[in-house]
Order: sequence, then C-alpha cells, then structure tokens
Amino acid sequence: MAHTEQAASTLQSGAAELGRRRTFGSVMRQAGRLANRNKLGAFGVLLVIFVLGVAILAPWIKRYDDNTQFQTANPKFNPTANPLDIAQDPELGSPHILDRWESPLGGDHWLGTDAYGRDLYARIVTGARLAVIIGVGASVIAVLSGTFVGLVSGYFSGKLDLIIQRLVDAIQAFPGLVLLMLIVSVMDQPSLFLTVLALGFLGFAVSVRIVRSSVLAVSQTAFVEAARSYGAGDFRIMLRHVLPNVLASVLVVFSISIGAYILAEASLSFLGLGPADKTTWGKMVNAGRNSIDLHPWESVLSGAAITLTVLGFNLAGDAIRDEVDPRLRGR
Amino acid sequence: MTNYIIRRLLLNVLVLWFVATMVFLGTHALPSDFAQKRIASTMTGASQVEAIEFARHELGLDKPLWRQYIDFMGELARGDLGHSYESKLSTWTEVGRRVTTTLELGIMTLFISFSISIPIGVISAVKQNTWIDYLLRGVAILGVAMPVFVVAIFLSLAVIKFDLFQIDVLGRPHFWTDPLRALQLYIIPAIAGGIAGGAGIMRLLRSQMLEVMRQDYIRTARAKGLRDDTVWIRHALKNAMLPVITIMGLTISGLVGGQIILETMFNIDGMGRFLFARLNLRDFPPFQGTVIIICFVLVTMNLLVDILYAWLDPRIRYT
Repeated sequence: MAHTEQAASTLQSGAAELGRRRTFGSVMRQAGRLANRNKLGAFGVLLVIFVLGVAILAPWIKRYDDNTQFQTANPKFNPTANPLDIAQDPELGSPHILDRWESPLGGDHWLGTDAYGRDLYARIVTGARLAVIIGVGASVIAVLSGTFVGLVSGYFSGKLDLIIQRLVDAIQAFPGLVLLMLIVSVMDQPSLFLTVLALGFLGFAVSVRIVRSSVLAVSQTAFVEAARSYGAGDFRIMLRHVLPNVLASVLVVFSISIGAYILAEASLSFLGLGPADKTTWGKMVNAGRNSIDLHPWESVLSGAAITLTVLGFNLAGDAIRDEVDPRLRGR
Repeated sequence: MTNYIIRRLLLNVLVLWFVATMVFLGTHALPSDFAQKRIASTMTGASQVEAIEFARHELGLDKPLWRQYIDFMGELARGDLGHSYESKLSTWTEVGRRVTTTLELGIMTLFISFSISIPIGVISAVKQNTWIDYLLRGVAILGVAMPVFVVAIFLSLAVIKFDLFQIDVLGRPHFWTDPLRALQLYIIPAIAGGIAGGAGIMRLLRSQMLEVMRQDYIRTARAKGLRDDTVWIRHALKNAMLPVITIMGLTISGLVGGQIILETMFNIDGMGRFLFARLNLRDFPPFQGTVIIICFVLVTMNLLVDILYAWLDPRIRYT
C-alpha cells in the first residue's frame, strides 16, 4: 500500500515537473544550467542563433541588393579628351571611377565594396542565407535518406546489408571533394539544389554508418524480441520500437555535420563549382584573392564569415552530441 | 589473421570496382565531353558539328555506353588506365610526372600536422582545464572550422604585407633543384593543409591522453617515482597514439581535398591540380585513372593501418 502511495506521489511530482517545464522561465533556467556546464557549446549555440537570425532576416537587413554595382561619378571625366591622353590616363575616358573598390567603414557601404562596386555587407549577409540553406538542406537530405537506408540495412542485415555497406565504403573511399566535384559537374552551371543534393549524398554515407550501428545494437535488445514474440511485423517493429530508440543518433548526425557541409560548399565555390547564380562566401574569397595585397577585405571578411559560421555549427553540434549521446564522440 | 587479410583484400577489390563504376558513370553523366569542349572553342557552324562527330569517333566516345564500360573495365583489369585525350600520354606517365611534386607537398603537410598536433595534444591533456588547455583547444577548434584556402590566403597576406619572402608560383621549384625557393613556395600550403589535418589529430589525441592518464599503469609509473615527462611521453603518449593511427587513412583522405585546392591556388603541378584541370577539360581517362589510383592508395592504406594496429596492440585480434 505504502508502495503504491509512493509511486503515486512520484508520478504526481513528475507530472508537476512536466507542468513546470512548460514555462518560459524554467526553460531558460535549464538552458542556463546547460550553458554553464558547457560554455564552449553555449558560445556555439549563440553563434548559430546569430547566423540563423542574419540568414532569416537577410532580405530586410541587407540595405542594398547584393548584385547592384555601385558607381562613383568620376570628377576627372573629360568627354572631349583625345584618345592619346586617355591612353596615358584611363581615368579621363570613363564617366565612372574605374577602380570601384571602396574601403570598409569609410562611407555608406559599411564593409566597403568589391571590385565591381557591389556592397560587401549585402553580399556577406546574402552569403549567410546561402550557407544556412546549404548546410541545413544537405543535412536534412543526408539524415532522411541515411536513416531510412540505415534502418533497413541494419534491421534486415544479410545480403542487402552487405551490398549497401560496400556502396557506403565506395562512397567513403573517395576523397569527399573529388566526389563533390564530379557530381556538381553534371550541370554546366551547377544549381543550388544540385549542390545541396551532392553534399547530402556525401553525408548519406556517414549517416547510414552511424544509424546502422545504432540499429544493430537496438535490434539485439529484449524489447525488440518481445515485440516480435507477440507477433508484430517487421515494419511495425522498425517504426515503433527501433526508430524511436535511434533518434538520439539521428539528431547527433543531423547537427554534427552542418558545419562540414558549409565548409565543403565553400571549397566548391572557391574552385568555381558552387551554385552558379548565387552569392556565396567561397566565391567571394576567391574573387578577393586577385587583389589581396591592395584590397584584402573581401577575402578576409568572407573568410572570417565562413570560419565563424562553421565554428558555431561545429561547437553547437559537439554540445548536442555530448548531451544526447556521448558514446558517438570521435565518430 | 591471414583469413582476415584475404577477406579484406577481396572486399577492397569489390569496393574499388564500385569506385571505378561510379567514376565511369559519373564522368559519362556529364553534359559535355572533351570533343565538345575542345572544338567548340575553335570552330563554328556546320563544320563544328562535323568536327565534333569526327573527334568523338576518334576517341571512341560514340560507342554505346555498355561497350565503353566493358572496354574500360577490361583495360582497368590489365592495369591500363587509358591515355589522355589531350596530351595522348598514358595516365601512368602523366601521374608519374606529378607524383613526386604531390608527395613533396603531402609529406611536408603531414610532417607539419604531426609536429603541430602531437605536442599540442599532449600539453592540452596534461594541463587539462587550465588557460593553456583552453587556448590550445580553441586554436584546434578554429583550425577545423577554417577552410584551407582561407588559412592560405591569410598567410599569403601576412607574407606579402610584411615582405617576408617571395612566393615563386611560376618557377615550379623542387627541393632537389632549389631547396630554398621550394620551401618558400610549399611552406604556406603545407601549413594551411597541416592545420586542417592536425586539428583533428590533436582533438583525438587529447581525449585519448585523458583516457590513458586515468589508467592504473600510469599511477604505477608515477608511484615508481618516474619523472612527469617520462610518464607522459613513454607511458601515456605511446598508448594514446594508437587510436590516432587508425584515423591516418581519414586524415590523408582529407588532405587530398586540401591538396586539390592548394595545388590549384599556388600553381603547383601535382596530382590534385592535374585532377581538377582534367575534370574541367572533360579529359576523362586521366581523371578516372587518377581517382582510381587515389582511392586504391587510400583503401590499401586503411587495410595496412588496421593490420599495423593489430601488430602494435596485441590485444586486438581480427577474425
């Protein structure tokens, strides 16, 4: 009797705990406790929130269009200058200043302009949107496909599993960038979707690996055997018993690779194989490289943007992994 | 053990067959081919179409796909990786010319990544949760997040701004012809690649060190009265390095991507730059061949690493 009473009171306090957890203040308090335990992770989460905010608000905060080429009227312009003088001083022949670079913090363009007179602040902000779309998009594709295949492969094992694992081996035998280069070249002008798909394909191999190994472990447990013994079908066991128990790994796989996808896309864009008609940070680093000695800020700013974004996603991913499933450390 | 090695070798053959098929299908799925890329730039009109058809026939690109696949696989089985459409040289010759250059940069990169990551990993673990640990870990985390080309650009910028030395991107110096200029050319890409590779090693080494330092034999070594650094190096590091060896394959696979970017950036005529240039030209045979060679090396190295691991750590038994 005392026993049931105790259980009931535990249940009640548990319910009260659940009820309390709903309030905003307690959520913040718990977040504060987590942040205190893992300061680096908290820093990463803040960076991610900042980048996500910039990405979502990009159209409203970018001030200028990222492709408008701003031109400054040339005070030295002389419409009647003869060609010989123009050959000596090209500035005489152009109604606009030929060298369109503008330094940061100097004028109306907060971060200056690039070689074509495009506002760098607008381009960095637009790049944030692209980076987030690519990183999160690729991760969603990788996780959805990887979870499905990993679930099937790990649950049924046997021949199918063997073939899928060799395919995964083959994908992972490639140096990532080579495979990406090849897939992206399928279009003469790679689109954003193709880039995301290629990155997702690469991540697919990693996701399958991790999800499959979790599925293998869960499939051995007693509750799966119990479910089978009362006659549950394979599909039901996979969906109702195995899947909920590997969701922790799935969450880790999702969050841990976003930074890597952003990094890989930056490399592709740097090599000129990124999404053709979009403003990406990798492209900007490459564009600024040519005049790095005189106008370093385009490369430096976009390079810093890539680094901070990847840093944020990596730290946040590590923190999520450590909270959810520390055994996946080092995978 | 022998059975294990034989089984792994057979699996590797299967994996390489998958790799070769994927490269073949991948290259043939591309919208343009070498004939188009080359001739479209020099001719126009009806003669262009004719010339492209002729070039395709010459190169064997007009055969049905399955026929080309069988030819490709037959040649591959005999160790023939085809000839470049452009230079007409065999892939082996083209790769052979560049392998030393790639190794020059690659070995230097590996050397730098180890000489950065091992001391940092050890110090960071030994001084766990002190300011120096936080600083070093911060550097490592930053190293993982920074793309190699950004590191390379920042370093070049520093070299240019402070006028430290000249970077000879045109002369193609080698260590055996002009060591000083070769060092000046290779040092920036090697550091950039080394940081990217070393950061991963450092993080793994640190966590392994922390694990090992909790073991009983470390306490025994201390109890014997051994000096701290003897315990750290002889007892802890030696054991903590074992798992680091297992990610060597992964590290080098990661270096390949960096090598493509850095060789292209610094105009170093190695395999990475070659690979990228061949893909852009749609010069398929050397591209396919180089990819297969790289994958072969990586897959073989992973096997060797696993064997080495079992040999170094007698507790590991493969069946």
